[in-house]
Amino acid sequence: MSNANTPPAPPAGPGSPRDVPPLPGSFPIDQATLPEPIREELLAPDPVAIDTAAAELKDGLNRCPKCGATDIRQKPGSDLLICQYCRNEWHGARVEEEFGLGQGIDQLKGTVIASGARDIAADSASLMSFKCTGCGAEVTVNTESAMTARCHWCRHVFGVNEQVPNGAVPDAVLPFHISKDDAVARIRQFVGKRQLFALKAFKEQFTPENVVAVYMPYMIVDGNASADVAGQGEIKTREYTQGSGDNKKTYYDADVYQVGRHVDFTVDDLPLESSSERGNLDTRVNTNNIINTILPFDTKNAVKWNASYLVGITSEKRDSDVEQLRPRLEDQLLSIARAQVQASTSRYDRGVRWEHERLDVHGTRWVSMYLPVWLYSYHQPGSNGGMLHYIAVNGRTGETMGSVPIQQWKLLMAAITVGTFLEGIALWILGSSS
Amino acid sequence: MSDDGGLWLLALGPAGATALYWALYRYYRNTDKSHAFERETTVEAKPVTGSDSKVGEVKGTRETRIRGDNVREYRKRVNRIRNDTDSS
Repeated sequence: MSNANTPPAPPAGPGSPRDVPPLPGSFPIDQATLPEPIREELLAPDPVAIDTAAAELKDGLNRCPKCGATDIRQKPGSDLLICQYCRNEWHGARVEEEFGLGQGIDQLKGTVIASGARDIAADSASLMSFKCTGCGAEVTVNTESAMTARCHWCRHVFGVNEQVPNGAVPDAVLPFHISKDDAVARIRQFVGKRQLFALKAFKEQFTPENVVAVYMPYMIVDGNASADVAGQGEIKTREYTQGSGDNKKTYYDADVYQVGRHVDFTVDDLPLESSSERGNLDTRVNTNNIINTILPFDTKNAVKWNASYLVGITSEKRDSDVEQLRPRLEDQLLSIARAQVQASTSRYDRGVRWEHERLDVHGTRWVSMYLPVWLYSYHQPGSNGGMLHYIAVNGRTGETMGSVPIQQWKLLMAAITVGTFLEGIALWILGSSS
Repeated sequence: MSDDGGLWLLALGPAGATALYWALYRYYRNTDKSHAFERETTVEAKPVTGSDSKVGEVKGTRETRIRGDNVREYRKRVNRIRNDTDSS
């Protein structure tokens, strides 16, 4: 029984993973011979993917279009790339025009997924290695946190440009506009307004210069949807008081209406966190809602992916696919629909109680993007690993939001002091009136 | 002043303390903030259509608003009707 422990051989016949995969869309049987319902299913359009992969960046070397050097940086404060060798400057193509992302949202049907937003392959590794074409050395990039590396032998700069199936390479990137000094000043200003009850240790260790630039992964979604809501609304018809003196009571009469509303709408560039950790906005255990608050970005200005924008900047990898984000999208679309119909219910001066809602998503278009965020963090020790407090600055608009840890006893003391003072006034009024 | 009014005044202290605590807590920790996508996203909506039909009357209620008013609570999900023919 020497082979008792050898695992059974994987299936190798036709139709197994050992087979050469057929071309996308091909089918081994003539479709015209199949029954109508099956044929319809087969011939229905596949999810369309916009191809945003750039052929000229395939080998991992971003070359200056003028001199061919690879030492390329983003020019601070602009969307331009600059060659550190010949000082040539050029502008990345805006994806909005390049792929027609702003148009035809009301014509969207089905799910259109840009090539950088495709599903993440289950077996994909986050470590990528390149063979340097300059000297032949192996250069490794850990796509969990960085998208560029420098060959330490010949000093060529590599960027991950191919759209690898691990989800690290997006379709587009929005370069930083807010400089570090600007971000530091904003954080200082934000915390400056929150000193009185801030945790002592936080104030002592406050060094906004430690702010880091991070590219966060997002899915930018265009959608075309309809929504129906139904419920009851009330219009006041009469208001009267009964009783006298202290027993005076106000009563209302109202007409009750059954209300139904329908709205067709399109949304343009709705951002959704495509990192499952960042998408978890549970304020009891994290402060991710801070990063969520600094949305939106001017995603219309995003440029086609080029790893040179990320030199020296950390990045987070996308780990959510389109289908995993769909419930969140539908929830947000319903909220938008409810906001849209509110103006049409103004005659119901006693309010409306919506009881049923329905959403029909006709079409969506998904583009994955890296968006720029300045992030300052402070870890507050405590039970269950404590709490990580973020202060985030939108790298484009400068919108700043943060979570400042609280010195609990100070805030409680202040609240109790004010409460006691108010109680004193109340007692004084009572005492003087009796 | 009646007893009723006096008892109401006694709640002033605890109510004031709680209100201040929560207001400051939110100002520092910003736990109530998130992306206001309802108003910060470009939404193009066709004119809202709908129906309104009177189904009844309420007489002599003391409530100033309809019970369960959620017209401004956009994110509070209500009973969702799903249609099976939804292709997406």
